[in-house]
Amino acid sequence: MEARKSLIKIKPKKFKDGDIVKVSFMVMHPMETGLRKDKKTKKIVPAKYINSVKFNYNGKEITNMTVWESLSVNPVFTTYMKVNGKGNLSVTYTDNTGEVNEKSKKIKPKG
Amino acid sequence: MQRRNFLKQLGTAVAISAVVPAVSFAGSAPKDKNKMSFKVAVDAITGGKTPQKSAKVHLKVPEIAENGAVVPVTVDVDSPMTTRDYVKAIHILSGKNGNARCIDVNLTPANGKAMFSTRIKLGGTQDVTALVELSNGDFLIASQSVKVTIGGCG
Repeated sequence: MEARKSLIKIKPKKFKDGDIVKVSFMVMHPMETGLRKDKKTKKIVPAKYINSVKFNYNGKEITNMTVWESLSVNPVFTTYMKVNGKGNLSVTYTDNTGEVNEKSKKIKPKG
Repeated sequence: MQRRNFLKQLGTAVAISAVVPAVSFAGSAPKDKNKMSFKVAVDAITGGKTPQKSAKVHLKVPEIAENGAVVPVTVDVDSPMTTRDYVKAIHILSGKNGNARCIDVNLTPANGKAMFSTRIKLGGTQDVTALVELSNGDFLIASQSVKVTIGGCG
């Protein structure tokens, strides 16, 4: 299973306990629909897209998404989150081919 | 610039823009069980309830998208996001794509704010719809048409 490049961004960078912060998750993923033809080989490129994304914060699921093929290449998922103490934010994403990956980031509120 | 030259250039520009999408996005569409038309998708989500148009749902989509492969969509819902009254789910649907459903987002009160944004692919000029499910079982809807000059699906 290959590891994909992914990134979790939190805005603003400095936040306190109880703040509501913006969380963006980005993945490098081809998001093939299964409809496109390769120009050189003229064969249909098999479908490969993310079909599920889950945000976990301190072991509690805060957001889960069901995804279909019509999301752009290298998708971005942006939502908000309420900071509730020190902890770990982890994002798990699954492929339609069964590929499972996880990315996590430490949450450290100040003040 | 002379009128004649200008018209010539205009003609070639139109010809190129007409040919390029036809070549780069040509492809056949096989039948898929995953495919859902817009009406079927709405019925599957709401379970027969009729969603109400509401000013509480703010759908932000560009009116004209130059490239259908990357269309930014932002859905913002006015909601207190408390344990009693919160937004349960945000669904983003496209009107004419092969599969109308783009993404379902299930939110919880831990989100603090009912907002979601992503980027979707659109095959052509069509409506983008945000269907919002509230915790009390009501459905709200907001839609906007997007003009796509180059399609991004298939």
